Amino acid sequence: MNEIAEFVALVLPAMVPFVLAAQGTVLSGRAGVFNVSQEGLMVLGAAVGFLVSYSVGSNAVGVFVAAAVAGLFGLILGVMTTNWRLDQFIVGLALYFAALGLASLLYRVAVGTTLEPPLIPTLESYPIPLLSKIPYLGEMFFDHDLLVYTAFVLSGLLFWFMYRTNAGLRFRACGENPRSADSLGVNVARTRIVASVLGASLVGVAGAYLPMVYTGTFTEGMVAGRGWLVIALAFLGGWRPQYILAGAAFFAGMEVLALRAQVAGIGIPHQFVLMLPYIATLVVMMFAFRWARQPRFLGQNYDRESRLAG
Amino acid sequence: MSQSAPRLSMRGIVKEFGPVRALDRAELEVAPREIHGLLGGNGAGKTTLMNVLYGLYRADAGTIAIDGAEVVIASPKDAIDAGVGMVHQSFLQIDSYTVTENIVLGTKLPGPAWRLDLSDPREQVAELSSRFGLHVDPEAIVEDLPVGVRQRVEILKALYRGVGTLILDEPTTNLTPGEVDELFRSMRTMVDEGLSVILITHKIRETMAACDRMTVMRDGRRIATVRREETDAEALAAIMVGRDIDEGVPEAAVIATGVVEDLENVADVVESAEPLRPDPVDSGAVRIEDLRVRNDHGVEAVRGLSLSMSRGEILGVAGVAGNGQVEFAEAVAGVRQPESGRVSIRGTDLVGRPTREWLAAKVAYVPEDRDGDGVLPTMTVAENLVLGSQRSADIRRGGLIDWKAARQKAAEAIATYSIRANGPNALAGDLSGGNIQRVILARAFAHEPSLLILHNPTRGLDLRSTQFVYEQVHAATAAGCSVLLLSEDLDELVALSDRLVTIYNGEFVGEWARGAVDQVAVGQSMAGVGVER
Repeated sequence: MNEIAEFVALVLPAMVPFVLAAQGTVLSGRAGVFNVSQEGLMVLGAAVGFLVSYSVGSNAVGVFVAAAVAGLFGLILGVMTTNWRLDQFIVGLALYFAALGLASLLYRVAVGTTLEPPLIPTLESYPIPLLSKIPYLGEMFFDHDLLVYTAFVLSGLLFWFMYRTNAGLRFRACGENPRSADSLGVNVARTRIVASVLGASLVGVAGAYLPMVYTGTFTEGMVAGRGWLVIALAFLGGWRPQYILAGAAFFAGMEVLALRAQVAGIGIPHQFVLMLPYIATLVVMMFAFRWARQPRFLGQNYDRESRLAG
Repeated sequence: MSQSAPRLSMRGIVKEFGPVRALDRAELEVAPREIHGLLGGNGAGKTTLMNVLYGLYRADAGTIAIDGAEVVIASPKDAIDAGVGMVHQSFLQIDSYTVTENIVLGTKLPGPAWRLDLSDPREQVAELSSRFGLHVDPEAIVEDLPVGVRQRVEILKALYRGVGTLILDEPTTNLTPGEVDELFRSMRTMVDEGLSVILITHKIRETMAACDRMTVMRDGRRIATVRREETDAEALAAIMVGRDIDEGVPEAAVIATGVVEDLENVADVVESAEPLRPDPVDSGAVRIEDLRVRNDHGVEAVRGLSLSMSRGEILGVAGVAGNGQVEFAEAVAGVRQPESGRVSIRGTDLVGRPTREWLAAKVAYVPEDRDGDGVLPTMTVAENLVLGSQRSADIRRGGLIDWKAARQKAAEAIATYSIRANGPNALAGDLSGGNIQRVILARAFAHEPSLLILHNPTRGLDLRSTQFVYEQVHAATAAGCSVLLLSEDLDELVALSDRLVTIYNGEFVGEWARGAVDQVAVGQSMAGVGVER
């Protein structure tokens, strides 16, 4: 029992980057903007978040600046694909490289190469009064840092917004059939740009979380492919916030498991465990057709005067 | 017509797509409480004009006034605010939403912003639905609904927004005759309740049945606006086709101008267009023996068909859709591998041979699904025309395609076949239906086919384009091409075919020689009357 509680308590923080980045991906995607620059944006978010909290001395400020910088990349993606109708995949890929380069550059300029890398304090945990005192459950769910709670609350809000409000109805319409949405007076371009900015911001926060929770330092490889996994996670979760949570739990669980396998030295190579999320995604995409539905106009730009689409 | 200001007045509307002038100072005036027909051929500018009115296209010049007040319509939102609603040919619906969700999308709703409450709108939709006779279940998911019902959803969308002017773009194309009557009744109810309805169509019979007045458009201009009582089908047809022959109009149109007796009757169109052609000779130019083909679901759809055709013969195949026509056409065209049987053209057995050999045997196929199977919509007209002749010596240089020559040829085809397009580099998907068919025909005829397979070649085409297709078919037969014509239009089949067979459940069930066709008997045969099981 104790071991399970310990495992769950480790999995929850490990879920945060997945949840935040994947919900950001879903947020953009449901409006029709398919962002593929997550990996880069997470590295950039990590670098910016780290450097700002190091120089200002506040993790909160670091998180916000990381969100703003990643949001700027989202703005570029949004404007380039909706106003100029450039290919979403190509722009996303370019932004991935740009963000990656910018992250290393910023760190080199600000820190340089040192034998003793600078450290920031990791996030404190905020045990929730009363709830955290419940045996086992308290340790598992109610004794974490603020971003853990935020990630979950945010997922709930996103679900509510998309499925339980009139604005959400209009919002999803932009990804399902932009021509229809446009013909009914929905501002497709604005919706998509806003979604792209907010979605990218969340991805940035997901990146900033990494140096703040694990090591307190920044390294270029610290995102370690999570950004690419997040794209798989969006598909695995059928682009629906509620299932993203479940998928993130699975991905984070595998990550923790792989780490343990490495430490404990059990028979299974940890690389194999790390492969499992990808294989799971493929399996789901192959067999669960109804489940694996995606916004119909995901990644497709909308041109009002073209007869081709819609 | 009435003393008050017109409901809608469009003046001097110009819209250009590159060098093509789609609307050339177009005019339209619609009175309150009237059903106004907007009539014209493919590419006459009807839909373009209405897209301008609905804010989907931005006009280069011109003014729009509604109820006497000038309005600026730059987006569909402006149009909705001005009380204009439009039902498009392809429905603009979110497939995964319910009927009610589709209808309320984009509107303000009662209740707090943070809570979506659809109970009131649902009642409203039900109320509108019964008031206008547009029956639909407000809770149904749209993608599960048949076309006729989805169209009602589209109309309800406009009515829910309280439109004063409703545009219907070719609404009857996919409806059954019964549904068409229902639609026309609903339109009358709308007019009785104070709306104005604009009906875009190229079917003269429809406007005569449903409209109070009609405006005829041609080449992006208004030719005439007439009241129903003051005109008849013949006069409208004459205006629509255009008696005057301006430059660029194909010969088919010249011939069509002589046809005014009854333009709804395809047979007459053909009769007047029929050139002298040699009697069919050389029986056995095309031989099909015991052909068996499975459909996509693995069911045997063609069950042992045999036939023999001579050079220059047109063989008509009549049948209700879904009796194996698609599979038969595809197998004979070499697109679908048959289970068994032989297809031989001028002595060459082709079943099982690679596509290259089918092309070398000069088989050309004009499929039923133009947009899906006929062209590559995201490629240019020139590229589409090259398909299949990429190995032709005319457009090759050093093992590569000589695009300059290909574009040159495309430009020639655009002129010869009167394709309305922005030159060889226009995207095929941007063309209208009639023009896409012209591209497909141009490509088919470029092969100088010895077997031409046509499947519903004139469906959805206007008179001039239909006429054009018939002309081309006759030109091909005169050159010795055998034509296999599969169609659901019996008039067309009777008029064109040298021999008519009926297909039912994958088998030929009747045969008639030209001039001996009993339409009643053909109809019964198509329906499987007299066939066992």
